[in-house]
Parts: sequence; structure tokens; C-alpha cells
Amino acid sequence: MPLTPGILLAASGIVAGLVLLLRGLQGYRMGARVADVGTSRIASLAAGEVRVHGVVEAAEVTLVSPLTSTPCVWYRATVEDVTDDDRSEAVSEERGVGFRVRDETGAIRVFPRRATVDVPPRFDERSGLLGDAPPGLRLRTGAAFGPGGGAFDPGVPGSPEAREAAIAALLTVRAPEPGDLADFGRDRSSGRRHYVEARLEPGDEVTILGAALPFGELADPTGADLLANASGGHGPVDEETAASIAEARAAGLLVSPEEAWGNAAIPGFGIGRPASAPELDPRATPPALASPAEVERHERSFDLAPDLLVLAAGADHPLVVAAGSPGIVQERQQERFLVGLLGAVLAIGSAVVLALLWSGVIAA
Amino acid sequence: MSELTLAALFALGLVAFLALFLVVVTYNRVVGLLQRVDKAWANVDVALKQRHDELPNLVNAVRGLMAYERDVLERVTALRAAYDDHAAIPRQAATSEATSSAVRQLFAVVERYPEIRSAGNVRELQDEIERLEELIADRRELYNDQVFRYNTAIATLPTVLVTGWFGWRPRPFFDAEEAAQRRPEVDLRAP
Repeated sequence: MPLTPGILLAASGIVAGLVLLLRGLQGYRMGARVADVGTSRIASLAAGEVRVHGVVEAAEVTLVSPLTSTPCVWYRATVEDVTDDDRSEAVSEERGVGFRVRDETGAIRVFPRRATVDVPPRFDERSGLLGDAPPGLRLRTGAAFGPGGGAFDPGVPGSPEAREAAIAALLTVRAPEPGDLADFGRDRSSGRRHYVEARLEPGDEVTILGAALPFGELADPTGADLLANASGGHGPVDEETAASIAEARAAGLLVSPEEAWGNAAIPGFGIGRPASAPELDPRATPPALASPAEVERHERSFDLAPDLLVLAAGADHPLVVAAGSPGIVQERQQERFLVGLLGAVLAIGSAVVLALLWSGVIAA
Repeated sequence: MSELTLAALFALGLVAFLALFLVVVTYNRVVGLLQRVDKAWANVDVALKQRHDELPNLVNAVRGLMAYERDVLERVTALRAAYDDHAAIPRQAATSEATSSAVRQLFAVVERYPEIRSAGNVRELQDEIERLEELIADRRELYNDQVFRYNTAIATLPTVLVTGWFGWRPRPFFDAEEAAQRRPEVDLRAP
């Protein structure tokens, strides 16, 4: 039997339908889980599986999203090259850092490793016919990490920083800028780019389902505080930071401990100025120490008591971070399930067409 | 076997898979809901026990200072003694509600005597019991929410079709209204 375009199309329909069905069933399960757990108030949380609903607050650090340069705590960005007959993924990156979620009774720290994040895209644009960048595209040109709640927290509603940030954002007129990242080393003369970015920002409403457990029970608090997947999924290793460190080392910028301390002591670099005087080589210039107010702020941000309850992925309770209220999350998953059912119909219809084509009842 | 028969088998297999998936997920959902109701009740129970353990400290701290308000103290003491963690949930709800009411009354009396409030650790004990009262209220709400979800799930399609087979029965609410109507009989004489 020759593989005619009709047969290939019908086979594609079966595969696409089954993929949609599987995604729909996943959505059904996630929606059921969200629906079956009542919302706990953060102040009265008990250990075990919980659902909380509140607003995202930045913790120690934030991220800078790659396509719109927006401060956030999680993002997933993809860039696709689209031509008339082909579609290929140029960049795919997902990254998250620990954050806090606050309701009317208190706040709790969230460790995002192994989280399933359900956040719809906020930026979904294509380049123009002439390859011009779409409006709103502001490719990240600096570091992927930014300051968190300790230094600048636009996530605290009503704070002076949030107000200043909102005013600055409103008053800034930004022209579309074709950045270096847009090229990605590929000739784009024959196609267009499709940019999609989903992100979770400080101030966003969020529903989180996971395990509330004492901080001391986290096996690896540092690893649990990161979520990172770059094209192909490399796990929680921060490839970009590792590459930057390797590059700095190769360039001779990280040759001795005193120089490393010197870098860390520059205000605004790393976590800020040291709280106590480091033991340095006598030849090194001693760094300026943090003020008592800065020390207190850092301790508040970084020191978590071992018995403090935090939210993370547990052995029996996967972590789900979803944008919106529980009702909105359920609606989104119901839509995925309905699309999945349509996928089943598509697969069955395609199978019937394939059978008819194969048996010669209808001509290809 | 003809190609059309294969297509028909594929369609039937897909529908059967979908049906099996829904049956398994529905069963697991109800079992999960049942476990969450039990867990939510266990959390309420822990908070009730904490309050039960804390109340004698407050009563002892203020007993000597409240010579003219003995009836309030005796009521709190008697209701504390009426607490039974093996009793049916509606009865525990009634006792809990009455205890909360008596504790509020005690706090109101303490407010009238600044010298009592400032004595020893009365203020700390009062703060701790107020924290436990809020904890009980929040956890009671979560428990009732879980019971509502479970009771709704077993009473609606498609679960209701198999509810009898698996012996799933509605769970009682920790109901404050019901508690107010059925105050427990307690002995108000001092122990």
C-alpha cells in the first residue's frame, strides 16, 4: 500500500487526536485534584497535603523573563521558527525560583522544584513579514536573576517600591527592539518567529496544591528552591550561571578567594555586602560590611527555622502551581478535558478514514 | 480481519479505555476525599486537645483573683471536663461551641479586671487560647468544606451509581448551628 498524502494525513490525525486525549486526561486529573482539596488558611495550615490560594510575593531573588524582561518568579519561554512548511523550536526555557504566597492570614514559602506549573501565556506574538520584532518584545540583555523581596519588592502591594515600579512602567515608552537574542544564529529571511512567554509575577493571584512540611525535612533546600529546564530538559542545574562562572574563570576573573569575596562584596552583586568581616588575605581590600538594617533584612529573608512549614513537592503529593483562583484553575482543566474528548473523536474519525483509504473504499 | 473491522476495534478500544479511566479516577477521587475528611478531622481534634490542655492553666492562673466570678470559672471547668474525643462529631461540636462561648465570657470578665490581666502569665495564656480558638475555627471550616465535597461527590452522578456497592455514607458536619441547638448537659458544680 503506497503512503499517499491522504493516508499520511489520516495517520497524523490519529496521533494528534491521541496526544490531545492524553493531555485532556491529565487536565481532568489535575482539575479533580484541585477540586477535591479545600483551601486552607495559611495561618492555620497543618502538615500534609494542602491547597492555598493567595498572591505571589518575591522571596530572596526574582527572575527576569527572557522575552519581555519582566521581573517574575517563574517563566516558560519558547521561540519557534515558522515557515510555510516547517516549524522548529529555536529556544525553549523554563525556570523558577522560590517565592512566598500570601493570603489574608499570613504567608508561606514555596519551593518550586518538581512543580507542575499551569500558567497561560501572557506574551504570544509573531515577528512581522519582514522579520521585524513584534510590539512588546524586550529581550533580556542582562542577568537572569534580579533582586528579591529583601531589596526591592514590587510584589508587596502598596509598598513604596511597588508604587515607584508601577509609575516607572507606566511612564516608560518602549520601542520594539530587535535584540541580539532574536537572531539565535539562524537566517530568518524565509520565515517568521513565534514568541510565547508564560510567567508568574509578584502580585499575581495563584492557587498552590502541594505538601506542607517543616523546612528541616526538605532533603535539599537549595535544589528545591530552583526549577529549571532548558531545551531538552537539563533538570535543576542552572546552565546559564554555570556557563557564566566557567567563562569568568577562563577569563581569569575568579582566580583567588579574595577576588571572589571582593566580587560578592560589591553592593547589588550577588546577595549584597557581607554581614560579618570575612577572613581575607592581608593583601586583599576588606569589603564594606552591611548595615545592621541590611543584616536584619537578610536574616529575615534567608533564615528559615527548621520547624517552619513550607510548601514543596512531597513524596505522595505533587506540587501544582496554577495561576488564578481555584475555580479558574478548574475551568481551565475542564477546557483541556473537553479538547481531549474532541481529540478522541478526531482519532476515531481519522482511523475510520484511514481504514476506508486503505481498503480502497474511497480514493486517496 | 478487514481494515474497517480494525478501525471499529480501535474506536471501541479507545472508548473502553476512556470509560475505564473515568471509573478508576472516580473511585480514587472518592477514596481520596474520604481520606482528606479523616485528615481534616484529625487536625480539628489536635486543636481541640491543645485547648483542652491549655484551659486549666488559665483557670488556675485567675482562680485566686476572681473571688466574685466563680460561676464563670466553674462553667469553663465543667465544659472542659465534658470534652470527650471519642464522642460523635456533632456532640463534640456542641461541647466545643459551648466551651468557646464560656471562654469568651471568661475573657470578657478578665477585661473588667485590669489587675488580673496584668498578673503573672494571664495575658500570655489568654493570647495562646485565643490563637487556639482561631485555629479551631479555621480547621472546623476546612473540615466542613471537605465533608461538603465528599458528601456532594457520593450523591452526584456518576458516583452515586456505585455509592451503595462500596458502602460510602455521608459524613457529619462539625456544625456550630446544631451545636447551639443541642447544648450538652454539664454539671456546673466545681470539681
